[in-house]
Amino acid sequence: MSSTTAETGPSPTPSRARAGKSPVAPALRRKHRRELRVALAFLSPWLIGFAIFFAYPLISTVYFSFMHYDGYNPPNFVGTKNWTYILTENPYFWTAMRNTLWLVVVMVTLRVIFGLGIGTLITKIKTGAGFFRTAFYLPYLAPPVAATIGFAFLLNPGTGPVNHLLGELGLPQPGWFNDPNWSKPSLVLLALWGIGDLMVIFMAALLDVPTEQYEAASLDGAGPFQRFRYVTLPNIMPIIMFAVVTGVIQTLQYYTQAMVAGQVASGTLSGSGQNYFPGYPGGSTWTVPQLVYNLGFQSNDDIGAACVVSLVLFVLAMAFTSLLMRRRAGLMGDD
Amino acid sequence: MSDTLTLDSAPSTATPAPRTAAHRRAIRQRRLNWIAVHSLGIAAALFFLLPFVFLFLTSLMSDDQSLSANLWPQHWVWSNYVNVFKVPGFTDWWKNSIEYSVLGTVLTVVSSIPPAYALAKFRFPGRRAAMMAVISMMMLPPQVIIVPMYLLWTNQLHLTGTIWPLVIPMAFGDAFSIFLLRQFLLTIPKEYLDAAKVDGCGEWTTLRRVVLPMIKPAVSAVALFQFFYCWNDFFGPQIYLAQNPNAWTVSYGLQTFHSAHHTDWNLTMAATLLVMAPVIIVFFFAQKAFIEGVTLTGVKG
Amino acid sequence: MSIAQPARRGRRTAAALAVAASLALTAAACTGQPNSGAQGSTGSTDKPVTITFWHGWSQPNELAAINANIAGFEKLHPNIKVNAVKAVSADTITQGMRATGANAPDVVSDFSTTDVGKFCSTGAWIDLNPLMEKDKIDPKTVFSPAMLSYTQYKGDQCSLPLLGDAYGLYYNVDMFKAAGIASPPKTYSELAADAVKLTKGDGSQQLGYMPLWDYYEQNTGYVGGQYNPTYFTADGKANLAADPTWPALFAWQKDLVGKLGGYTHLEKLRTGYGDEFAANAFDKGKVAMQLDGEWRVANLQQDKVSFNWATAPFPVPDDQAASYGRGFQTGTVIGINRNSQKQAAAWEFVKYMTTNTGALVTFANAIDNVPSTIAALKSPDLKLPSTFQTFLNVAKNPNSVTQPATPDGDGYVTILQNLGLDLQSGKQTDVMAGLKKADTDVDNSLAQAATN
Repeated sequence: MSSTTAETGPSPTPSRARAGKSPVAPALRRKHRRELRVALAFLSPWLIGFAIFFAYPLISTVYFSFMHYDGYNPPNFVGTKNWTYILTENPYFWTAMRNTLWLVVVMVTLRVIFGLGIGTLITKIKTGAGFFRTAFYLPYLAPPVAATIGFAFLLNPGTGPVNHLLGELGLPQPGWFNDPNWSKPSLVLLALWGIGDLMVIFMAALLDVPTEQYEAASLDGAGPFQRFRYVTLPNIMPIIMFAVVTGVIQTLQYYTQAMVAGQVASGTLSGSGQNYFPGYPGGSTWTVPQLVYNLGFQSNDDIGAACVVSLVLFVLAMAFTSLLMRRRAGLMGDD
Repeated sequence: MSDTLTLDSAPSTATPAPRTAAHRRAIRQRRLNWIAVHSLGIAAALFFLLPFVFLFLTSLMSDDQSLSANLWPQHWVWSNYVNVFKVPGFTDWWKNSIEYSVLGTVLTVVSSIPPAYALAKFRFPGRRAAMMAVISMMMLPPQVIIVPMYLLWTNQLHLTGTIWPLVIPMAFGDAFSIFLLRQFLLTIPKEYLDAAKVDGCGEWTTLRRVVLPMIKPAVSAVALFQFFYCWNDFFGPQIYLAQNPNAWTVSYGLQTFHSAHHTDWNLTMAATLLVMAPVIIVFFFAQKAFIEGVTLTGVKG
Repeated sequence: MSIAQPARRGRRTAAALAVAASLALTAAACTGQPNSGAQGSTGSTDKPVTITFWHGWSQPNELAAINANIAGFEKLHPNIKVNAVKAVSADTITQGMRATGANAPDVVSDFSTTDVGKFCSTGAWIDLNPLMEKDKIDPKTVFSPAMLSYTQYKGDQCSLPLLGDAYGLYYNVDMFKAAGIASPPKTYSELAADAVKLTKGDGSQQLGYMPLWDYYEQNTGYVGGQYNPTYFTADGKANLAADPTWPALFAWQKDLVGKLGGYTHLEKLRTGYGDEFAANAFDKGKVAMQLDGEWRVANLQQDKVSFNWATAPFPVPDDQAASYGRGFQTGTVIGINRNSQKQAAAWEFVKYMTTNTGALVTFANAIDNVPSTIAALKSPDLKLPSTFQTFLNVAKNPNSVTQPATPDGDGYVTILQNLGLDLQSGKQTDVMAGLKKADTDVDNSLAQAATN
């Protein structure tokens, strides 16, 4: 596995690299044109998909962000009203932004640290490695809805087994998903439980660190900490960067777990006379993607405002994506 | 279980060694190390596995007991697993989930290989831009474009309430799958392809005859990822399927299941574990391909 | 008149074409011309009409009840078939109302009264006034007044009540006896005094009353409703800061929270309670009194609780003691999709479901809800336990209260609730500043929702 991943792809031959710039022989140019044609043919389904499922909706989102549109009556132009409403007036937008950014900072940091820890641990385990690897990996596979409902049950402050156990051990029993101060940390706990993806990535990266470097460091009298600091860390830095940036982007999309946890913990049912306040408890689990859903698809029917929030999310995601592409040019290609 | 597994084989690390003091120290050091590492491992395994154990035990309790303080079922109510299927709609959700996951996976794999091949192996103007577009699509939160997409499917195409709005886009290539396949394709030396071309194969034949057999691990990884994605998808069904309970998938249905059976945590837990089961079973059969795939996303490039 | 023409929806050619196509397909089945408000025929023996009805009920007993009602209707109207879709949630309804085509419902019932303002103001549900007029139904004499008010928006009666919920006080009679309290509290100061008397120690074993706003059914709107506040001025502006209700309510709650051990302590107790419907603290004997809806009667009976309990109207503010007997009301609403091609048949069904006394009474008996017409409320056939009588009385009480519908999905309810949460946790300390901010938020939300 590590051998395939260590390679950086075939290096371009000199003649190829020059081909684009220098005066090109007619035969080569013909070959070029032919390759473009074939490439287009191979790419065509995806190009159509790009136009219909990316470019069109993106432009349309911008269009609707300047419209008042309830989904029932024709949209009408309202200028920047939706923008000022969301950015200055809507009482939930900044709450959702704060929560999402909190999750970005705390969840991503802890996931990277924990993933690195578990990844290191698994490389050190010699006996029963297969068992441990599977055990550590398994929770990552649990469907988010199922995992969240499960955690909401386990962490139910009144009736869940976790607080029963904590109580018997004489430890404090937090309110978990029912306490505004604990709801986001509980979501972080859920995210740490599903650390499998990062564990595998870090494990592979750690095994790729050349052993000679460790040996050399040991000969120089470096202790375990120094070996980690001066050998491991520089070697796996690109992977850490990758984990951070993709983690940030995943967290910007954070939706299912926050929504399901809030709903299950609030105990709200689809029954008459129920009132569910999104972001339960106390708005602490509102996230930006949830606000898009709430504005556009729930009680508000405010498609224009939903599109403004969508675009804010888009700008955030693209800012981090460009960071990823700059910091890791390798992601872009082989040359 | 984990204890016996690790302790049994413990001595193997301490092989008989020359009896110098330094060596003895080294051996002791190594043994202590072994104990420390494996204790940590067991603690971590408990953290990862205990939730499953608790959920499983709860799923076998009576509904009265599921909210009580004792953690071990008084009576093992295996019939919970039968009764879940008597819940109206539950079996339909499975059918729909399988339909969505299988169709989605097949379409994604078939439609993502050619673009990935083109991006990895052809030189053409705009290749860099195309690659940037793939990465942008991959990073795009689905909520960004959901409003116009929903309006398109409901107002123009009248297909909401069916799985088509979820599945049809997958026939046009999935950015993440394209990215992953391309990363893998980059590792195949150009010479193989050139050899095929010398033999007179066109690009299409080369892809089918030469490349495809070589990228099997990546293809199975992509297929697995996509299967899991469809199976776990909550946002898509919430937007497109909510209005038609007959079209719900397990992931979406599970949440409504909880709302409708609030007092029966035992049944909810049985349903929850059943929803987890297929992904876990698939994983056990395809562990290697899967882990290779995950590695590929991160380490490559 | 807000009977919408289906083709009005789409401005874009594609949409118009699609709608036209679907119209052409379905028009063959219903040749009836739009007459007196409702288009589509009510079917004939050779060509029965099938209407799709969405509802949210999902429990076996609820389904049996609603299906029995549908069967009753079909017997009365052999030319109309009802295709019922169960377990439809509020979010789903919003999405379904936008959808056109085969999956779209004709008749929709919704548990969330908060959606009424939106469905009326956008025209997604048709105004039923002309239809009632034609059939000589005077809503004011048929429906209970509070229920009638939450089913309309600015005179547009786009929905009707289909059974309702009334709120009252549940109290633990054994605990009352032990504390030497003879009768349930009638005013808020009595409620506070009893809450203290009924609390043992720090309240972790037995709390008299949980005053926090996010405790189960309790929220600012329901408890504040007993003051009969005016939420909006005549010209539709938010009136929270100007109404004396809110400062009084928040002061009362703050005082009681302090007497029962303070916010941090009570919040710890609240989060430690079980789910509202799985392990309710009142059912578990941890709380002596609680505000709750009529359905808890059935829950308490099913749970076979070990203590004696009773129900009473929820207390009222001291300066409005004469209004004792009132309570908060909400409920299920039912309306007709403007995209429906079979509105005439749909109306027959809605009329039956909402006004047929026999149907309402059997339905109410089966699912333990409050009937929504005056005749059904008085019906001798109501077979509900005596503890339920409190809620029937609340529903009959002309002073009972509800919250007005607004086109932003009742944004003010959530804004007010959030203010209550911020005040109790100390995030906001200045009540008046908080109320003024809430007024601004509500006005902004309404302005944003206004279609022009």
